[in-house]
Amino acid sequence: MNINKIFHINLGRTLIYLVLISFAIIYLAPLYVMFSTSLKDIEEIRSGNLLALPNDPTLYAWGKAWSSACTGSECNGLAPFFWNSVKIVFPAVIISTIVGAFNGYVLSKWKFKGSELLFGALLFGCFIPFQVILLPMAILLSKLGLSNTVSGLVLVHVIYGVAFTTLFFRNYYVGIPTELVRAARLDGAGFIDIFRHIFLPLSTPIIVVTLIWQFTQIWNDFLFGVVYSGSGTQPITVALNNLVNTSIGGKEYNVDMAAAIIAALPTLIVYVFAGKYFVRGLTAGAVKG
Amino acid sequence: MGHIQLKNVCKSFGSTEVLKDIDLDIQDGELLILIGPSGCGKSTLMNLIAGLEDITSGQIVVAGSDVSDKSPKDRDIAMVFQSYALYPTMNVARNISFGLEMRKVPKDEQDETVNKVAELLQIDHLLDRKPGQLSGGQRQRVAMGRALARSPKAFLFDEPLSNLDAKLRVEMRTEIKKLHQRLGTTIVYVTHDQVEAMTLANRIAVLKDGIIQQLGTPYEIYNDPANHFVADFMGSPGMNFVECIVFEDKLVIHSGSQNYQLSVPCSDAINRSGLDSVLLGIRPEMLTDLKPHENNPYIHEVIFDVEVIEPMGGDTIAIGKWNDTEVQARLSPESGEIADKGFKLQVDTSKAIVFDPLTGQRVR
Amino acid sequence: MFNFLERNLPKIIIAPTTLAMIVCMYGFILWTGLLSLTKSRMMPQWEFVGLEQYIRLFQNPRWHVALDNLLIFIVLFIVISLIIGLLLAIFLDQKIRAEGAIRTVYLYPMAISFIVTGTAWKWILNPGLGIEKIFRDMGFANFEFRWLVEQDMAIYTIVIAAVWQSSGFVMAMFLAGLRGVDDNLVKAAKIDGASTAKSYWYVILPIMRPVFFSAIVILTHIAIKSFDLVQALTGGGPGYASDLPANFMYTFAFNRAQMGLGAASAIIMLFGVLAVLIPYLYSELRERPA
Repeated sequence: MNINKIFHINLGRTLIYLVLISFAIIYLAPLYVMFSTSLKDIEEIRSGNLLALPNDPTLYAWGKAWSSACTGSECNGLAPFFWNSVKIVFPAVIISTIVGAFNGYVLSKWKFKGSELLFGALLFGCFIPFQVILLPMAILLSKLGLSNTVSGLVLVHVIYGVAFTTLFFRNYYVGIPTELVRAARLDGAGFIDIFRHIFLPLSTPIIVVTLIWQFTQIWNDFLFGVVYSGSGTQPITVALNNLVNTSIGGKEYNVDMAAAIIAALPTLIVYVFAGKYFVRGLTAGAVKG
Repeated sequence: MGHIQLKNVCKSFGSTEVLKDIDLDIQDGELLILIGPSGCGKSTLMNLIAGLEDITSGQIVVAGSDVSDKSPKDRDIAMVFQSYALYPTMNVARNISFGLEMRKVPKDEQDETVNKVAELLQIDHLLDRKPGQLSGGQRQRVAMGRALARSPKAFLFDEPLSNLDAKLRVEMRTEIKKLHQRLGTTIVYVTHDQVEAMTLANRIAVLKDGIIQQLGTPYEIYNDPANHFVADFMGSPGMNFVECIVFEDKLVIHSGSQNYQLSVPCSDAINRSGLDSVLLGIRPEMLTDLKPHENNPYIHEVIFDVEVIEPMGGDTIAIGKWNDTEVQARLSPESGEIADKGFKLQVDTSKAIVFDPLTGQRVR
Repeated sequence: MFNFLERNLPKIIIAPTTLAMIVCMYGFILWTGLLSLTKSRMMPQWEFVGLEQYIRLFQNPRWHVALDNLLIFIVLFIVISLIIGLLLAIFLDQKIRAEGAIRTVYLYPMAISFIVTGTAWKWILNPGLGIEKIFRDMGFANFEFRWLVEQDMAIYTIVIAAVWQSSGFVMAMFLAGLRGVDDNLVKAAKIDGASTAKSYWYVILPIMRPVFFSAIVILTHIAIKSFDLVQALTGGGPGYASDLPANFMYTFAFNRAQMGLGAASAIIMLFGVLAVLIPYLYSELRERPA
């Protein structure tokens, strides 16, 4: 009976491991294919197999993707657009995080008449399909003279990112006892003192979560990028899409793949080094209202 | 110095009135206990005094000046919270000095105060620790230290002992009492634990539904409760309440399958009230073993059918029925061992009180 | 004056956000709603024509293709992601060695943009050089796999890529849910004689109902907003066979100078989201104690 049971358990567990590992392979396969393709030359791609390792690895495709591939009419590679994305992402992430922190602090600890309603209304902003604001925002940006500018994109990302950052901070601060605020008020501390001395030192985890979430969202954005940017201010996602769809002188799949990895690299690196916070952000942003 | 006056203080949240017309005069140096069941408004009242919530109408005067519209920091009142509310990222020393820092007290003066307070509360060895590294009792001390550091006009204690285990609670209770005797600062202390109230208070205010039911010394509250609610709330085990028919000027009880007529001190008042039946209130310690007979009209001997006994160590609670209502008697541990059906009980009604069964008001 | 500032600082701090929200969310939604009632083409034109744009929208075969695609996409995307996510979560919850590493692998696609995902899968599914070639090289000379360029099948390639990207996330949600279940419940079920499978089916999954609910809402939300994946993977093609409403809206509003029509399609999308969101928020708020 015992032997039977052990055998049964082992069989079950083997099956579980088998399933888990197969899925891991499936999830990793596209990344592997991208990498190996990006290291092959175009001859090998045409003759060889998708899954085969490169015979003679070359960085040609990477170089071309970075500095000379055509993204529409220009052929300067992804580099300028990579820096565009950097210029958009950093201010947008930092501003939306700061605004979100203060909003969350107010909406959790300094409630006033109507603040719950305000929060509900803001929360709704996390869910609206952005298509519904695309047109008027385009007009507002042109009225402000911000069409096709980096600043315009930063503004858009801040406005529609604040709903999320506020949600993150508010839900985090709700968990901090309100009695701390009361104690500090009796100790003579004001709104700003309490934030600076008590809430800010407690906020490291949620700040990291928010920064990572916003970074990933904004870096990966395509919709706002494609609608609100001009030829010189496009973010990398838009440029990647253009690069892939430009086929002057034949398709170079290796260059496409190298470009795709370049576009994915910053968020992947963040994920690898701070995956814990990334997952927390995903579930926090998603599950709880 | 720490004289606090509440004049016609009302507080409503939306349409719910939480506190109705509270008048309270708390003397300088007094330890006043606010007690009542949860939801009675006691914590709200404390928040109003602290300035953490705004009063709806009325006036709060601290040390002669009207503070009704002042923010908490301008009232010079310190508070000890139920959850202690220690700042988690600051060490003990900074927790204590934070209030001074906010008031821009010079650094060396802050340090001096921290040391003095820490010594007083015997937490000087903990000054570098974070609150997370402290035990419940130590946190309690730090919370008090934080309040003490500023030498405020008055202290507010909001159920400060309710997060401690039973043994520590008794220790800290004594310590608070000693501290109060030593410092002589006004303290308003909220609790729902009537033992805490009895042991600590100079005066007790019993609150229910936003109204002060009675304000008096522990002795008055215990022995001369204003109404059924106060009588019921204070005392452990609680007062026995038995509805009795009035026969001439005596009350009839049925116990151990016999009827007895009990004389009570307030018989005149009962006659005057014209009630046919009243609620007799008598504390368990007035139902005891037979003692050498005293010549006293209020001593009765009653047969009692004991149903359950609960030994408490020092004495034993015996539970039986009068007029089909459960009553508790307080017996010696020895008679507790043998108490059973037909136990002979001595009932002393000299401190018995009587209520109108409908309104719950005292008949007197 | 100082006191006024102090008392109202919270409101002052939140005022810019409130203003931005009123203008850029609710105001813009209203604006788009009004625009959808006009005959605007290149530029906004405030000549109201009632529901004409909506009638044109629903007479447009391309819109119907987009709606049908959305239906196929939502149903398959959600069902497959839920099944895979739940399966992986339950398996991972069996005290697996190297759980952290495996979890990391399942979730990394979520860190990548849909544009990258689309580009990668476009290559993998490439008719001729992609999966088709692998099988042909293995000896199946007549193997065909060209969904990417087939009218009827292109939408399924989008399902594949979207599931690849999002199922790990569903796994993470379920795993968090499973970790939140009281161990004693499982023990109690075991003592009552339930097998592992039965204790999951009868005891644990019912507790996880809210997680299912949240996952469905989020996946629906991702699906309705999906735009970049289609753009990168199929470009809506072949023809417009794999368009989703989001792509329809973009094409008509920005490339074809049909503002009114684009606005009308955006409003329909909004209602689609609301139809899912409102019951969700309602039940969330109701379950929570007041």
